[in-house]
Amino acid sequence: MLRKILIVTTLLFTFGACTEDFEKINVNPNTPSSVPLDYLLSGATLHIPGSAGDPGYKSWRANFIYASTVIQQMSSVEVNFYRGTVYTYQGDLSEAYFVNSYPNSIKNLVNLIALAKADAKNVNILSMARILRVVEMANITDLYGDVPYKEAGLGYLNGVFSPKYDAQKDIYADLLKELEEAGKAFSATAYIPKTADFVYAGDLEKWKRGANSLMLRLAMRMQKVDAAGAQAWAKKAIDGGLMASNDDSFSIKFSNTGAGTNSNANSWNLGAGRGIANGNNIQWASTFIDALKARKDPRLGVISALKNGDKTLAKQRGIPPGTDATTLKTLPETSLDNYSRVAPNMYALENPYFIMTHAEARLLKAEAIERGWATGTAKTEFEAGQSAGVRQLASYGGVIADADVAAYAAANPYSTGSLDDKMNAIHTEMWVITGSVLNHLEGWANWRRTGLPKLTPVNYPGNETNGQIPRRLRYPQGEPGINPNIQEAITRQGPDLFMTRIWWDKQ
Amino acid sequence: MKRSLCFLRILVLSLLSTLSFAQTVEVKGKVTEEGKSEINGVNVLIKGTTRGTITNDRGEYSIQVQKGATLKFSSIGFIPKEVEVGNSTTIDVSLTPEESTLSEVVVTALGIKKEKKALGYSVTEVKGEELTQARTVNMANSLQGKVAGLNVANTATGPGGSSRIVIRGNGSISGNNQPLIVVDGTPINNDNLGSAGMWGGGDSGDGISSLNPDEVETISVLKGATASALYGSRASNGVILVTTKGGKANKGIGVELSSNYVAENLLLPTYKDYQYEYGMGNNGIKPTTVAEALTSNSWGAKLDGSNTINFDGKSRPYSAYKNNQTDFYRIGSTFTNSVALTGATESITYRLSMNDLNNKAIIPNSGLRRNNFALNVNANLGPKLSIVTNVKYILEKTTNRPRLSDSPGSATYAINAMPTSLPLSALKESQLNDDGSEKVWSDNIYIQNPYVAANNWRQEDKKGRIIGVVEPRFNFTDWLFLRGRLGFDNFNYRNLTITPYGTPFQPRGGMNVGNRNFTETNSELLLGINKKFGDRFGINALFGGNLMKQTYQNSSYGGSNFNIPYFYDISNIDPAARSSSENYIEKRINSVYGSAEFSYNGYLFVTATARNDWFSTLAKGNNSILYPSVGGSFVVSEAFKLPTAINYLKVRASWAQAGGDTDPYNLSLYYGLSGAHLGAPLAQINGDRVPNSNLQPLTSTTSEAGLETRLFNNKLGVDFALYTRKTTNDIVAATISNTSGYGSALFNVGEIANKGLELLLTYRLASAKDFSWDASFNMGYNKSEVVSLYGNLTTLQVDENRTRIAYIHQVVGLPYSQVKGFTYKKDASGNVVYDSQGYPLQGNLVNFGTGVAPTTLGFTNSFRYKGIGLSFLIDGKFGGVIYSGTNAYANRRGLLKSTLEGRETGIVGKGVNEKGEPNTVKVPAQQYYERLFNIADPFVYSADFLKLRQVIIDYTIPTRVFGKSPFKGASISLVGRNLAILMKKTPNIDPESTYNNSNAQGLELAGVPPTRTVGVNLNLKF
Repeated sequence: MLRKILIVTTLLFTFGACTEDFEKINVNPNTPSSVPLDYLLSGATLHIPGSAGDPGYKSWRANFIYASTVIQQMSSVEVNFYRGTVYTYQGDLSEAYFVNSYPNSIKNLVNLIALAKADAKNVNILSMARILRVVEMANITDLYGDVPYKEAGLGYLNGVFSPKYDAQKDIYADLLKELEEAGKAFSATAYIPKTADFVYAGDLEKWKRGANSLMLRLAMRMQKVDAAGAQAWAKKAIDGGLMASNDDSFSIKFSNTGAGTNSNANSWNLGAGRGIANGNNIQWASTFIDALKARKDPRLGVISALKNGDKTLAKQRGIPPGTDATTLKTLPETSLDNYSRVAPNMYALENPYFIMTHAEARLLKAEAIERGWATGTAKTEFEAGQSAGVRQLASYGGVIADADVAAYAAANPYSTGSLDDKMNAIHTEMWVITGSVLNHLEGWANWRRTGLPKLTPVNYPGNETNGQIPRRLRYPQGEPGINPNIQEAITRQGPDLFMTRIWWDKQ
Repeated sequence: MKRSLCFLRILVLSLLSTLSFAQTVEVKGKVTEEGKSEINGVNVLIKGTTRGTITNDRGEYSIQVQKGATLKFSSIGFIPKEVEVGNSTTIDVSLTPEESTLSEVVVTALGIKKEKKALGYSVTEVKGEELTQARTVNMANSLQGKVAGLNVANTATGPGGSSRIVIRGNGSISGNNQPLIVVDGTPINNDNLGSAGMWGGGDSGDGISSLNPDEVETISVLKGATASALYGSRASNGVILVTTKGGKANKGIGVELSSNYVAENLLLPTYKDYQYEYGMGNNGIKPTTVAEALTSNSWGAKLDGSNTINFDGKSRPYSAYKNNQTDFYRIGSTFTNSVALTGATESITYRLSMNDLNNKAIIPNSGLRRNNFALNVNANLGPKLSIVTNVKYILEKTTNRPRLSDSPGSATYAINAMPTSLPLSALKESQLNDDGSEKVWSDNIYIQNPYVAANNWRQEDKKGRIIGVVEPRFNFTDWLFLRGRLGFDNFNYRNLTITPYGTPFQPRGGMNVGNRNFTETNSELLLGINKKFGDRFGINALFGGNLMKQTYQNSSYGGSNFNIPYFYDISNIDPAARSSSENYIEKRINSVYGSAEFSYNGYLFVTATARNDWFSTLAKGNNSILYPSVGGSFVVSEAFKLPTAINYLKVRASWAQAGGDTDPYNLSLYYGLSGAHLGAPLAQINGDRVPNSNLQPLTSTTSEAGLETRLFNNKLGVDFALYTRKTTNDIVAATISNTSGYGSALFNVGEIANKGLELLLTYRLASAKDFSWDASFNMGYNKSEVVSLYGNLTTLQVDENRTRIAYIHQVVGLPYSQVKGFTYKKDASGNVVYDSQGYPLQGNLVNFGTGVAPTTLGFTNSFRYKGIGLSFLIDGKFGGVIYSGTNAYANRRGLLKSTLEGRETGIVGKGVNEKGEPNTVKVPAQQYYERLFNIADPFVYSADFLKLRQVIIDYTIPTRVFGKSPFKGASISLVGRNLAILMKKTPNIDPESTYNNSNAQGLELAGVPPTRTVGVNLNLKF
């Protein structure tokens, strides 16, 4: 009997300890442990406009609900949702860009950079990833100010779970350095991704011009707080070569398959995915429509339509900022259907998602020349930028006749007056361009730096800014609970409020 | 037919007896319960043979038997008795009911029955009938208030949802905290198949929710790791052992029928704390255009009954509509019918049962249908070999599980958000636009029309489940046996969700179909020894091993954007927007274990166990862990002569360790392939969690000491336990700042401690012949503390409410599951600080208390007069808090009574401005209260409650009534559950209304309102 017990016990232990295949079992058969870097470049690029789960998530909240409305390019009578119109705060709207970008675009770009660095033949992928990271980090820091940068996205690679908040000053310094290094590192002899590159399809020269143009944008942004640095970087950017035609505009390309993944995030919100344009949810602001009308801007006929699709110029009408459903009744036109909204051609799913247009590069160069930081003729650059901006709407199916471009230029000539007048001319163009290519994030940042064009703020009950146009978005509410480092940023930058100015936004 | 079968069988039996035993006498007699009432159906067996008979309705029997033979009298619920046949031909027997005996037997780990007095730990047994009278669709909810220290929380989802069962506190921050559910020896999957979170969703039920209470013989709750040391890692939170009914030796085929019908309606039909003075609108203005009427706000003008435009362009009186809630929800019902056949032959006993449950939930178009089949066969294949086979098949179909928490697709959210002056009839009347798309009724396209949510949104799931056990046992000798066991749990779950075409936020709609196939097999071999040495010493030992294999084969397909409007099939989804995925997950645990119990003289018992688990989910070198346990019990009343007032006294103590692992594939980083764009394949890092290759098993250590006594003629019973439980190296998926790129990370995190006590008092207040009164009181108190976290981390976020103002954190030094939220900004002397515009400022995050009630109690009284019984259960929980998202939103929308102040005059907040001067700035009421939304304080409440949980009035029809009819027993009962909330502190909501059963307890938003159920239960036996 004892022997039987012994045998059974021994058998039991033998099978219990038999765990050789355990390591194989614990490998996920449905997800690879490594993938070609091209795939990661493609995947990460698409995360900049939006995430795959909800392509329009951050674009809707940051670009439309806040940015487009605070600078009066757009407006909405739904003031309890499109809160930028009346400067009120709602946590999930304010934090959307922040909470969506780090775990998607930033994480995947940081990871791609680490992987691409390992092999010199991937230098072009590396440079593209570095530039894309600059694009996204600039968007984040321009919206919020001091944010995690150096330690961001390193949860897996370095085990950093509570990244430090870097001062925007330091972030800008590194972004500029990254653009310079990445631009220079492109190599025609190394592997060049083509289909995986949704920005320039593997055209390295365009990448270099794109990187330089972004460098000029960031340089100009910091001129109030670091004029010398701004000048030095602007010179580097211009010497390196800026975008030279609308083909050089920095945009992410999309297609019209109908899938969220393949769709332009802005189009997704305005049209197929969310329908906020024809739903009367968000419409052009009267400030914007009136300006285009006054300037006889031919873009008006491309970007704007009434609910029934009517694009007749005379019928276009914007919603006055700050109008809610009640005050709408006091206006001469009380039906939202008869107010202008983004025209359907503007939100075809395959439209490019603009990061920076050629026009902006030319206009910024004009400013640099006026400030004595670059050589050339400001007027030439201005005019080139002005007409490039109009012609950029070809990307939205709005090919504008040369005669109309010329007429617009004639109606809005470059100022011969004071520097302020010239700046007003340049940055009013910037405001129209960013609005017309739906890059309201950039529009807001440029407006904050320049204060141009002059906008009249609204003073709606309960606003959080004492009736002033907000200077930033607020951090995620959950962040103090999980990342104590945010306190350092608040101490350095000021209270976490709409009116706290970020580093480059000096009065 | 039944009768003739029985008759035939008796005839055969009598014939057999007559034929084979000529030299016999006829013995007659009567079997009674302690000399009082007669017992029918008692088995009378001639010992050493298979021959016997059964007592009739008057408890009488007669049998042909040889002189000197022994008759064995047995019946369920009574202690068997043996009587030798002497000269007398009349043998009257009195049987003693089992409950009053000292040698109570309970089912313990691995299904081994043990005498309760031998146990060094606390085990509570709940009888099947306690679950079947005032029944709940999810039988776990019936356990609430019945077991000391068992904390059952049901989710606010109505029937079909999951429950959260916690024994002796939560031991793990993000791991499983629920006990292992073992059905007839095989562990079953109790995973929640889908739950609501911050962004909404529905509760798809769990494993225990599918079981049929009619099949349950007993439920043994093994508390603490000691009781469950033999189950190893998966039982670190205790074990719930469900033993189902087996066959019974009957007179012929026994038939049991039971029918139960209950109806349910709203327990809190109106929102008592909503205001009914101001109507829809903003800034104190009554809407005069459709655009203005498109709002979920009630910041409009004073109600005046005048015709006012609504969202659909029609005008309706601007009055208070208080019945919006009752008008939407219907009366729910659950109709349950079951039939069971039991019987026996010489070598086989069997039971076959079928059950049909048909539920209509209070939300229109929502309900559940469940069919349970069970077959239990116990076969003796010779003198040494026996096989027990249990097979259960469960088919469960659910339609439109309610969506909870966030608004999309949620009817409850919309009902809670409706403006004071918008009648529900308006939403019923104007659901759709002319093109069939949903008509938006507020300024938020994510809030559905509740009728559209109920009628057009679709959610259907179907679960087919087989649970089977085959258990051969070979007895080498009377003290040594070998037992094999093959346990099998498989379910196939299919879930279809359709977001209709024309949904405002998803204009072309979408659909998803998920298939989940889960299989767990357990192959166990066990060698058992049970031997006495002399009169006094005994040994009871087991050695065993188990191979556990768990697989999930999941697939899903779906997409957004239907091409043809309102036609819902995958073929109609825009081909580019279709997606599909496939997932295979496998996990194994190999184990060996042993247990040895030494006894001395029937009053001293010492038991030691050891188990080693090897996990496939952890890396080599970290994947093996040994758990020991030791326990003892000493029956003082048997060892020493005690004063007569003490009938029974036992002391016990034990110490045990158990551990746990993690989910598969958590050790390294993976990539997800997510389609293609412009000809280029896309990939990204898969998942939102930082993997960790150095994870180690967690360890949970429990010590307990206890005392059981029965006093004063067994009138008063006391069972008392003290325990401590400590979890170290807990594997935690902690929320981390997503600036790290990830939302959570896996760590082995510090330590969590639980200390507590459990008390069960039973008192027989009266026990006359015709009248009895039993009272029972149980309570559990558990004090938890997060002792340390990872590194110098002091707080970890585990969940967040949709309002993004309140969170659940684990905080060092505080009890488990802290409700954390933003408070008012206050100055040094405690004054609320206002900004220069007169609005209150948001201050810091503070801890409001634990979301897990530390104290639970239940109080039962049962009265019986002759055949009529009345019992009621009051239960309660104390010491927890809850953050109500429903009330936070209702405040922001101007629906709460508390928002009435200052509507006409504006509000000057009491406090100071940022300069420290008294605040004098007057602000409009709407904006003031809207700003309060950013502060959690006003919406955190004590979750204490006392409820009249159940009342049962039953009547057992006396046996004599049936006379010669085929009926052997019948009872009818009137049952009610959740009849009243005797005490609560949460305005508008049920304090028990968390929206999921996760570890983060204490957050509420838009749950299905609580209901009371009343019904009737009928049982027939023949």
